[in-house]
Amino acid sequence: MQPIIEMKEIVKVYDNGVVANNGVNFTVNKGEIHALVGENGAGKSTLMKILYGIEQPTEGEIIVDGKSVTFKSSLDAIDHKIGMVHQNFMLVPSFTVASNVVLGGEPLKKGLIDRERVLEVTKELSDQFGLFVQPDAIVDSINVGQRQRVEILKTLYRKAEILILDEPTAVLTPQETQDLFKAIRTLVQQGKTVIFITHKLREVKEISDRVTVMRHGKMIGTVDTKDVTREQMANMMVGREVFLNITKPEMHRAEKRMEIKDISFLSETGRPVLREVSFNLYAGEILGIAGVEGNGQTELVEVLTGLKKSAGGRVIVKDEDILDHSPRDIRLKGIAHIPEDRLTNGVAIRASIEENLIVDRYFRAPYKKGVMLDYKLVDTKSKELIKQFSILTPNGKLPVGSLSGGNMQKVIVAREFSSDPYVLIASQPTRGIDVGATEFIREELVRIRTKGCAILLVSADLGEVMSLSDRIVTLYEGKITGVFPKAAEVSEEELGLYMLGIKHQTPEEMEKFL
Amino acid sequence: MKSFLKSKGFREFLRIALALFIGLGLGFIITLFVSEDPINAYKSFLLGPLSRLNRIGDWLEESLTLILLGLTICIVFNASQWYIGVEGQMILGAMAAGIVSLYVPLPPAPRILLAFLAAMIVGALWGLIPALLKAYYNANELVTSLMLNTIALKLFEYVLKNFIMNEKSRSVSSESIGKEFRLGTFIPDLPFLHNIRELWIKQTSVTVMVYVVIAAVIVVYYLLYKTPFGYELRMVGINGKFARYGGINVNRAVIMSIMVSGIFAGLAGVHITLAIHNKLISNMTSGLGFEGINIAILASNNPLGVPIAGLLYGYLRAGSDVMERSSDVSRELVFVIQAMVLLLVTAERLLPVVRTRIAENQDSDNRNNGSKNAKQLKEEGESHVA
Repeated sequence: MQPIIEMKEIVKVYDNGVVANNGVNFTVNKGEIHALVGENGAGKSTLMKILYGIEQPTEGEIIVDGKSVTFKSSLDAIDHKIGMVHQNFMLVPSFTVASNVVLGGEPLKKGLIDRERVLEVTKELSDQFGLFVQPDAIVDSINVGQRQRVEILKTLYRKAEILILDEPTAVLTPQETQDLFKAIRTLVQQGKTVIFITHKLREVKEISDRVTVMRHGKMIGTVDTKDVTREQMANMMVGREVFLNITKPEMHRAEKRMEIKDISFLSETGRPVLREVSFNLYAGEILGIAGVEGNGQTELVEVLTGLKKSAGGRVIVKDEDILDHSPRDIRLKGIAHIPEDRLTNGVAIRASIEENLIVDRYFRAPYKKGVMLDYKLVDTKSKELIKQFSILTPNGKLPVGSLSGGNMQKVIVAREFSSDPYVLIASQPTRGIDVGATEFIREELVRIRTKGCAILLVSADLGEVMSLSDRIVTLYEGKITGVFPKAAEVSEEELGLYMLGIKHQTPEEMEKFL
Repeated sequence: MKSFLKSKGFREFLRIALALFIGLGLGFIITLFVSEDPINAYKSFLLGPLSRLNRIGDWLEESLTLILLGLTICIVFNASQWYIGVEGQMILGAMAAGIVSLYVPLPPAPRILLAFLAAMIVGALWGLIPALLKAYYNANELVTSLMLNTIALKLFEYVLKNFIMNEKSRSVSSESIGKEFRLGTFIPDLPFLHNIRELWIKQTSVTVMVYVVIAAVIVVYYLLYKTPFGYELRMVGINGKFARYGGINVNRAVIMSIMVSGIFAGLAGVHITLAIHNKLISNMTSGLGFEGINIAILASNNPLGVPIAGLLYGYLRAGSDVMERSSDVSRELVFVIQAMVLLLVTAERLLPVVRTRIAENQDSDNRNNGSKNAKQLKEEGESHVA
């Protein structure tokens, strides 16, 4: 195996003095699947941006195929047969799949775009690499998995030999992930080299030949994947033992805090998304919702938090029906919410960390003082929270957008937890963040549950639902199909049958446990 | 020292200075082509406004209007409302101030006070129309506010011609507002200032509005950055979904932002009525309302930058007046030069020398209205905290 890429002693210091890469050595062999892992902010993205020519290294050398190269822009990288698939896709939604694939390098006939050839080329590539797409479909109308394949085809059309995939599975369903892995294997069989950036150690084990671990801008090591366990990798990433299994103190379930009765929700097109969902939340208990994504979890959370209007039902908190009240009213009842999509709902990216920490409390004492907002107090309080939740930042005045994903999530968690919630609704609390932050947030969830908070946990990570929850409800096509009063005693396989709607409990069976 | 040179404020200053320099340079090249005497023509443009006291006065007067209009836009842009109804708010504010000054039988001080109040209220209420349409019917505020400008202007002309116009006057205008009901000069009547005061009164009409404008700048700054209202408004501007999620009443914030901004447009109306024209006259805003947008953009929507931007922009306008009068270069050409400067200043990416990284531009004290890709920012950020 000869190295196709060697990055030697790469140092990247940004203008503002932040050292993102500090003497990184990174070698990729031809024809391998190389996983690059590390916590958010470990410097993986920077390293890959350097390799793809988006950023220029402060020091260090890049050798591609034995030749030392300098990339001024990604065009230079493309010339050296390096392609990158970004996490957020860069496609023209109104164009066809084929037009997107050839964009910028369209085959011409008499100076005009040869439309037939465009379709043919795409079809040929798609067949050759087993990346099934429909060339004449409009990108807007295809799903995320297909869009990703279009992105990969785009790089292949530009003759890429080395593909960088930036957290490709973050947006995929388990089924789509398997399809992607199949495609990656096909690519490698045909001589391509794949660099795979991820957080998910299970995937590293499954797909990669070798793995490089980064931490705090440095390379910790490169090893053959088959020689390491997930625990060992996690250890390399965070530099300490990580307990993937959570130890929870015994549950002391107390009074009923939220009674959800027959909630329904219709989509914009009138399709029923939630069908008379009922359950209760109790103090001191984590209720987990297990379900394949897209079975109504998102809508359930948004209805409960006032972001969407229901089509009927009741939500009783402190003897009052709060269904369809404003988000403000619902928050004032003590309901905190960790939103599913942190960039959309959870933070205002250009606002400072401080300002992101006060959105649920700026309008009342002690923050509001007369007609003014007491920014001194905001400063003190946010310093406390930054410390307490170990948010990695020089100070709270920086925009929240300057933080890594994990730290951004910690800002949200700090805000929601510090409101001392009566009920907490946590949706995908650890999605797309690093092991360290994940562990921290999970521990915090358990901590406030043990302190007596009622928690509703929605997560696409079944392992997370199973290990954190005290009680589990399965949701399938907007209906509750089963309830498991002792989360510890149910197996993954059993839950799967209910999540896929293969098995149902009768309403009578469920009644006393909901 | 080094950190000062690297500081964002300094870089921003450098960037604007450079843009200005290049813009003026290009302007000179154009002047070379069109003028018989380019050097003198350009000199009159660059130095004209300072050459005589009355010209300095003209510059300052117009700048005051521009600053108020800039503040108006600054407020709505911070809430990401693309509202451009300032022209309408200003003309109706002017009308309200004029009517009070002409017809309400009150002694000078309360009458002037009432004129201010009336203009501010009218400005705010006129903003209420597009604000409500936006908040409850999701009508695009850009379109509605633009339409309402025309309505306001025509309404003003109608009222002026049918109810106010002075029969004896040759132009379409009201009679002049009585001297005691206008705004006084900004120089206090103190013994040692007596001579200067007399000189300024004779040659200029820079009024106490100076102090009103200074106060307005401070008020807007505190409003935006130090009050819960400003917080709401800016959060709605940065990410409306986040604001809603956090419990902010987004509709109310949108309505309030446009209404509050109208207060300052109303003040601009007072200024043109009681300080500049001293009467109501046809076409008295002359499209100035739209210049507020330029001011706000020049100031990166920061209220503290608005006075600087206003004075700068006012200077360019004043210079163009002088150039037009004292040379063979037409006013239109000067507009071209002005536009070029603005273009260069707003096109941040055009000047790689002083280009700063996106993440740095995100500093909390400077929120511009660029819509940056969230993911891109996040990645920028990732490397920050590496």
